[in-house]
This record gives sequence, C-alpha cells and structure tokens, in this order.
Amino acid sequence: MVTVNIDSRGTACPGPLTDIIRAYKKASNGDILVVMATDPGIKADSKSWCDRTKNQLVDVKEKNGEYTVTIKITGKS
Amino acid sequence: MKRILIVGGGAGGLITANKLAQDLSVELKKEEISISVIDPAVYHEFQPGYIGIAFKGEKPEAMRRHVSSLILRGINLIPEKCARIIPEENKIVTGSGRNMSYDYLVVGTGCEPDYSQIDGLSRDNLDYHTSAEKSANLYRAVSSMKTGKIVVGIAGLPYKCPPSPNEAALLLDEFFTRSGLRERVSINFVTPYIRIYPAEPINEVIEPLFRERNIEMSTGFTVDRIDTAGKKVISLEGDEIPYDTLMLVPPHKPGDFLKGQDFTDEDGWIKTGKTDLHISTYENAFAIGDVTNIPISKAGVEAHLEGIVVGENIVSDITGNNVKALFTGRTQCSMETGYGKATFVIGTYTKPVLKLSPSKDKYIMKKMMEAMYWDALMGRTEAIFKAYFGDDYIQYQSRPVRAPA
Repeated sequence: MVTVNIDSRGTACPGPLTDIIRAYKKASNGDILVVMATDPGIKADSKSWCDRTKNQLVDVKEKNGEYTVTIKITGKS
Repeated sequence: MKRILIVGGGAGGLITANKLAQDLSVELKKEEISISVIDPAVYHEFQPGYIGIAFKGEKPEAMRRHVSSLILRGINLIPEKCARIIPEENKIVTGSGRNMSYDYLVVGTGCEPDYSQIDGLSRDNLDYHTSAEKSANLYRAVSSMKTGKIVVGIAGLPYKCPPSPNEAALLLDEFFTRSGLRERVSINFVTPYIRIYPAEPINEVIEPLFRERNIEMSTGFTVDRIDTAGKKVISLEGDEIPYDTLMLVPPHKPGDFLKGQDFTDEDGWIKTGKTDLHISTYENAFAIGDVTNIPISKAGVEAHLEGIVVGENIVSDITGNNVKALFTGRTQCSMETGYGKATFVIGTYTKPVLKLSPSKDKYIMKKMMEAMYWDALMGRTEAIFKAYFGDDYIQYQSRPVRAPA
C-alpha cells in the first residue's frame, strides 16, 4: 500500500480532478491518494468521481480555504 | 552578442522568435543579438484544423506551411532535433551531437500522443491529434461508414485541445444526420471526468446538446486497455464498451529527451513557473506551450500568449526596460458544436471559465481567428489580440519604461 500526496493547490477545475485521475491510473487497490486543493469544487467532484469509479472517499477536510481529500483506491478490477 | 535559442518551431516558438525579431530589430541588425530556432520539422501544421479535416473533409494542404516561410528575416532556422538541455551550463546538445550555448533559452517542444500507455489503442484507433494526414484518414473511414457503433472521447490525460473530443462527437452527429445514416450509427462519448466537459459552466451548455442529439455519455470511464479481438474498450474498473469504430484521443507525452531531468517532473513535463514561465529556478530559461507542467489547457492560444510574455521579458532584460511581464493563464479554446455554431472556453488563473452558449456569431469568430493564424505566428496581429484580450493579454508587475534611444 502506498500513500500518494497530490498538491493541486492554486489550480482551478478541472485541475484537481485531472491530478486525481492521473494518479489513479498509476495506483493499485489499497493505495491512498491525499489531495490538497484550493478549488472548492473538489468537495463535490471527488465524491461524484469516487461514486462513479467505485473508489472510497475516506475524508474531506477544509481549513482556511484549503481542502484535503483522502481517497482509498478500491475500484480497479 | 546575446544568443537567444528557441527550441521548437511550433505555435509558441515561432511567435516568440518573430516577436523578438520585431522588438529587437535594431539589435538584430547590429548583430548585438542572435535568434535561432531549432526544429527538424520542414512544415508547420495548423493543428486546430485537424478537426475540420477529420470530421468535415477539409483539405490537409490548406493546414500546412513551410516553417522557413513563417520566420522573419534575421532569424536562424536550424533543422535539427534537440537531444539534451543542460541549463546549468547554458547549453543544449543537438541530435547530431553539436553543443549550442545560449544566453536565453526558450523551450516550446510541445507534446505528442503516447499510444504506449493504452494497450491495443494503436491497433484500432482513428487519430485526429497527430497529423493532417492521419486526420484525413479518419475522414475517409467516416465517409465509408454506413452503420455501427462509434466510441469517441478521451483515452487518457493530459491531452491537447480539451474541447476536441466533444467537438468530434458533435460533428459526427451532424455528419451522419446530414447523410441520413444517424439512426444506424450510435455514438458513445467516454471520459474519465464526471462531466461531459470537465469545467461545469461549459458542461451546462454542452450536456443538453449531447442529450438532444442522442449521443451516449459514459462519464467516469477511465480507459485501461482496448480488447481489439473482442472490439471492446475496457475501463480500469473492468467495465466494457463495445465498438466498431474507435476515435479516442490518446494521452499525450512530452519529448522523450526531457525525461529524467532535474527540471522536469516524473513524466517529463517541464517544471515551469505559472506566471513568469521560468524553467525551474533558471532565470534565463523559459518554457512555453504544451511542454510545461502548468495546469491549464494544452492549446495554441496559451502557447501564443506565453510566447509573448517570455518575449517581452527577454526584450526587457536586453534593453534594460523596467518591466516584468506575467502570464495570466488566459484560455481561449474554441468548440464547434455542429450546424454552424460554436462556443469558447474562456478563463484565466483567477477568473473561472465563463458559461457561453453556442452561437453562429461565435462560429464566425472562430473562423476569423483561424484565418488570422498564419499572420498571428508572424506577430502581425498583436494589436488585435491586445485589444481583444484586454487585461488578460499580459499582466505587468511594473510599468514599461522606454529605454533611451
């Protein structure tokens, strides 16, 4: 299991989701993606994306306009 | 003599070279500076034109010109590849092993489709992102198709020209509707994003068109591989979409010579300052266009505006003007939506993408901008661009002060 930190701060939609999808492509089931973002759209987008791709949204934290989204990769066949 | 070396003769490299030749014409004439463009390509192709070739049968010959006809007098054109950049030594090494030193470096080597990332894709895919010739092959295939399942969309990230997969789906719908074959041809649009167009404001105007035109939408579908024997696109989650004809945009990669360098990321994209466009920490080296790791659209307008910013800063450095130009992150991607209409994806680093409905006016504007392309590369349209882009054209950190004559 690997934890991958992704810094998407300062990028607007779809920047953070692009970073998530690119990291997902290289990840394995069980890996954790930790995404930092400033685009508020990340909150809803990461949930929708996890629902569609059968991955697990573990946590979304917000502090001073910065979001930290934790995703566990579970969707790969 | 100050030596300015531009690696790459694409949309960004050519406007940078031509802007420098215009703004530093006196210095160039006095041989106080040299401007060299290194690129092995004989022809420059108008890449946004690939869509028109592939889906509307436009002529490839109109989309290409000899590179030597697109540079101003005084610019050296070096028909070689760049094999290595060594910024700590202010030099590059060419494909033939020649060392070339520089005082200023601009890298605009672009990116290209990388079929190796998706197993099976190169065997069955029809391509409208590699060349005018391949785009013409796609049109021939579409023209001979009478029935079947088309899968169109995004095979991987990142890729050039973000609206192009949407345009492809909409123009295919128009083509087969006009041919009277639409009921016999299904179109399925696949995307790893959760919306048909990733930016919500544009998605709001595009998704209803997909529904109206009966284009199937497979969102959150991250392509893993192509089963060419079974004619299926397979996602990372194991979902399958059958196809008869495949037209996916492959993921793109930067030039292989960039991989494994200190100034590039793990995939070879150049670590580039978002606004000052410096390569990593190198004050005299810049990257522009698709080759950067800047998280914006990989498209010609961005490369052009970045080239203007870099040109402005090199001119400022050489002439001693008190100006620091910054790139605003402005995007201006046109999206043809079929039946003579288009919209634009417009935003900056600080302004979210606008919600602009497709219209005939925007289609005419898109066509006007396309008609200006060759002159734009030569730097002949900057007055128009300045007026059109307004504050988004360039942001200045300090006001320009003209150097003494």
